[in-house]
Amino acid sequence: MNIDLKGQLKQHPGLAAIYEEAAAAIAAAGTEDALEAARVRHLGRKSELSRLLRAIPEMPAAERPLVGKLGNQARAALEEAMAGRRQALEAAALEERLAQERIDITLPGEPFPGGRLHLITQTLWEIEDIFTGLGYRIAEGPEVETDYYNFTALNTPEGHPARSLHDTFFIEGEAGVLLRTHTSPVQVRVMEKEDPPVYVIIPGRVYRRDSDATHTPMFHQVEGLAVDEHITMADLKGTLEAFAKSMFGAERQIRLRPHYFPFTEPSVEVDVSCMICGGKGCRSCKQSGWLEILGAGLVDPNVFGFVNYDPDEVSGFAFGMGVERIAMLKHGVTDLRMFYDNDLRFINQF
Amino acid sequence: MKVPLSWLKEYVDVDLPARELAGRLALTGTEVERISHAGLPAGDGNLNRFVIGRVVAIEPHPNADRLSLCRVDTGGATAQIVCGASNFKEGDRTAVCQPGGMLPDGRRLEAAEIRGVRSEGMLCSESELGLAAKSAGIMILPEDAPVGGRLVDYLPVSDDVLELEITPNRPDCLSVYGVAREVAAITGSRLRTMPVCDIKPRGDDNVEELVSISVADPSLCPRYGVRLIAGVKIRPSPAWLKARLAAAGLRPVNNVVDITNYVMWTIGEPMHAFDMARIAGRRLTARRAAAGEEITTIDGGRRRLGAAMLVIADGEKPVAIAGVMGGQDSEVAAGTTDILLEAANFDGRSIMETSMALGLRSESSTRFEKGLDQELVPQALAMAARLITQIAGGRLVPGQFDIRAKPFEGGATHIRPERVAALLGVTVPAAEIRAILSKLGFKVKKEGSGLHVGVPSFRADVEREIDLVEEIARVFGLELIPPSLPSGMRAIGGLTEKQAATRRLARLLAGRGLNEVITYSFIGGDFAGRLRLGDDDPRRQAVALANPLSAEQSLMRTIMLPSMLMSAAANLAQRNFDANIFEIGRVYTPLKGKKLCDENEVVAGCLCGSLRGPSWRGNGPEPDFYAGKGLVEAMFKELSGWFAVDRTREPFLHPGKAADIFVDGSCVGHVGEVHPLVLRAFDIDRPVVAFEVLLEGLIASSKGIAVFEDLITYPASFQDISVIVDEDMPAADVIAVAGDAGAPLLHSARVFDIYTGSQIGAGKKSVALNLEFRSPQRTLTDAEVDSARALIVQALEEKLGASLRL
Repeated sequence: MNIDLKGQLKQHPGLAAIYEEAAAAIAAAGTEDALEAARVRHLGRKSELSRLLRAIPEMPAAERPLVGKLGNQARAALEEAMAGRRQALEAAALEERLAQERIDITLPGEPFPGGRLHLITQTLWEIEDIFTGLGYRIAEGPEVETDYYNFTALNTPEGHPARSLHDTFFIEGEAGVLLRTHTSPVQVRVMEKEDPPVYVIIPGRVYRRDSDATHTPMFHQVEGLAVDEHITMADLKGTLEAFAKSMFGAERQIRLRPHYFPFTEPSVEVDVSCMICGGKGCRSCKQSGWLEILGAGLVDPNVFGFVNYDPDEVSGFAFGMGVERIAMLKHGVTDLRMFYDNDLRFINQF
Repeated sequence: MKVPLSWLKEYVDVDLPARELAGRLALTGTEVERISHAGLPAGDGNLNRFVIGRVVAIEPHPNADRLSLCRVDTGGATAQIVCGASNFKEGDRTAVCQPGGMLPDGRRLEAAEIRGVRSEGMLCSESELGLAAKSAGIMILPEDAPVGGRLVDYLPVSDDVLELEITPNRPDCLSVYGVAREVAAITGSRLRTMPVCDIKPRGDDNVEELVSISVADPSLCPRYGVRLIAGVKIRPSPAWLKARLAAAGLRPVNNVVDITNYVMWTIGEPMHAFDMARIAGRRLTARRAAAGEEITTIDGGRRRLGAAMLVIADGEKPVAIAGVMGGQDSEVAAGTTDILLEAANFDGRSIMETSMALGLRSESSTRFEKGLDQELVPQALAMAARLITQIAGGRLVPGQFDIRAKPFEGGATHIRPERVAALLGVTVPAAEIRAILSKLGFKVKKEGSGLHVGVPSFRADVEREIDLVEEIARVFGLELIPPSLPSGMRAIGGLTEKQAATRRLARLLAGRGLNEVITYSFIGGDFAGRLRLGDDDPRRQAVALANPLSAEQSLMRTIMLPSMLMSAAANLAQRNFDANIFEIGRVYTPLKGKKLCDENEVVAGCLCGSLRGPSWRGNGPEPDFYAGKGLVEAMFKELSGWFAVDRTREPFLHPGKAADIFVDGSCVGHVGEVHPLVLRAFDIDRPVVAFEVLLEGLIASSKGIAVFEDLITYPASFQDISVIVDEDMPAADVIAVAGDAGAPLLHSARVFDIYTGSQIGAGKKSVALNLEFRSPQRTLTDAEVDSARALIVQALEEKLGASLRL
């Protein structure tokens, strides 16, 4: 309430009474309807205030300015009070309505069903992203492949004992055609087409004739190939260390163990420190603290011979990893076959 | 390859515990699958409870006819032991298990009352000690066995065993001595000499006069050696030999056979012993099998031989499949007295092919197929001759056969220290290179700025400098190589357009609620019938596997639908009812006249569950043709492309509720409800909507990079019209006519309602269109829009016989 107005109204007790009554009615209005009734009664055309203001022209000239000024001030003050009151009532009404609109917030929400990418795809993409980040391109090649690319050009000629390690699916009616047993043949195809430097990874499906708890006849590999001047074993180690830390966590270590593959020399198998026990030794790593994740090595000069690269000019490294194994280690999947059962209760978990 | 530690230690002075040795081997290239234990459990003092005892007295058991009561001297004490065997006498030495002792099978022996008499231990049989599968009585030990001594100090009855995985390039390590050589190199321990010293023959006959040996095919048999030992006595092997073989996982047979196996395990040369009495014509020839020849091998199998296979034949027939397995007819058995001892070198590839063709692998074939050292031939013969005459008696007949095409010429190569550094990324000093190679048996001498390296006969895998680099890397220590990244890296990584598109589509479909599956690329031969494919449907021509695992996995798929339906059916059977799935995979199309097939990426999917997912508010619409088409539309939109449809001609789809998909006039796929008969063939009892689009088609339709179109500066005007047309009029025709007539102001015409019913009469339908008019240059006036609308209505009336619905 305008104190100034109240003091001034003392100069006109009649107006003061009208004002007081109206102000009280507005303040007392408990509903929007009551407030409207108060407006009609105290501010409407037939209200005492309106009548008083309309009667000003008939008042003595000396009174007119005072009544006019005070009356209009009182009207403005009352309208303001009215608006304030209306806002308060509306707010209260909204609050009450909202309070009544209670629902069970524990019920589940709209499903907006989102499907899942297969864990193999997620793992493949993650591997691809790490290597594209390191500057590698992704190459692809045929799955129905010739003996030449799958074995011979990879320094595994006919009769080589390493051939018997691969249980190969052969194609009926086409001599020397098979389902590739690894993605390595694409190495040769890439090098046939391109001059060094070559930095590629080769993801894809591969096939071996084997089916039991730890083998499926189809699985996935990612092959990597770097050929350039001055590529060293140290580069291989650094690259795979970067991969392992990126894939399994910054605190992971890797170690290289000498091994044998026909198409690399020296050849190594690569272990990552066990992510389950942190390297202390547990059931998963057979107490060794290490888990084997891939095979690798420097490209054998004989392979360069097949693609007309000069081993005195360039050197290279290659590596190959099983995507299923990486996914199993990372996510604790215990049965390889689940990847290909495609049960939604499996797929939806990742 | 199982290498018992005590056996290994006969040839190398190494005192590392098994676990540490295994770790060192693993890091230098010999994978250790595990460390196992053979024979008596060690630890907890168990080995102290097995001692050598002497039977002092045998008396009948007072309460049992078949048992006897023995007093046994166990060195300073006498134990009373009840025994059920009867193959021994007073004074015999035997193995005594004292109370508390644990046998290899885990049984623990305690002192007990047997039929009312206390027994303080057990007299052990060979089978109880794990040396034989069956024994007739207790083990009687030779007179030299020290009474009271621990059994394990006299016989290798308890051993840690390294189970090694030997890579195919290192057949030299398929022997205890080969592993010993490796261990000496990597630990710096002393290697003892090979146990192959020869013995003197006796007699005045000569094997060269007694038998005739020849090699008809020197390319498959570069070296063939034979010796004759006359007058042997075939018996079970002595306990130490049985213990050795048992620890290595070999089954003892008889003394002669056991010795040939022992020699193979020790130095890596497979051997064979023939009973000379059963060799027809006293002649042996290494020749290829004649077509149709057969042999019964010692495992009892009847084998039909191929003309490429090398056999050892006597005067009449094959008596062994060379390097793979001997024949039953000439095997050494109880009555054998004279034996022809064979050690040979066979061509690895030939052995591998023979063994694969026959499906017959043996310890012998797995060694020969990797290519063995020819110098092992005389070494094995010398070692076996000495052991056989010692253990089985008899005499070595003077003379021998050693037929070979050409003598071994040692290989040689060179190595440059700077090359080692350039390839490994770490400098290995020349002196260290020299030391490493020497320890591995190479003969190293200085040559210019590098080293000349002579390769020993047992390392045929080493031919080139790079092979030596590997030897240096693994012994020097890969852990000492510092990690780095390629220094010349100037390539930019990334996905190809196709790979990027694949990822976008996979994310899109997953985002729309489909789950990705990955199915096998091969399907069953009955797929064409199940899909109702016509006889001349090209998809019947599939790439077939020559050696499939099963009929269900025999063909490379030419279409994705069978994989999708099988996956859906499997999920439905598991009550995963919201089986809306997709796969981005390849189909394989044979090409006439080409070796390899076409491999094309396909995006395929099928919907058989609610599109909303289960909800307490209702499950939403069931999938229908339009759901499938909506996904296809979304895929094309994702790649900024579009497509046309035509009623499908696919026999596996609902003829009325399916469409073929076209890009630039060629069919790139289909979408629609699957034919009920096909669903039945896949055991699916609910409607399924499937789609399948060639990734190439999706990419081909792409307009490429999206170019900005101003839809913001000037407002559009919208008008709705409804026209009545014949009921079978395609909506696409209505839109096409409207589009032509409304150009250039009509921006789009969208169907928002289709109505059929009594209000508009039979055979008719009402198509309601929402028309959007706009200009990129200005705000359109009402008059412009009205006249464009009028033109559209007029064209629909004139061209399609439509009438405006008021």
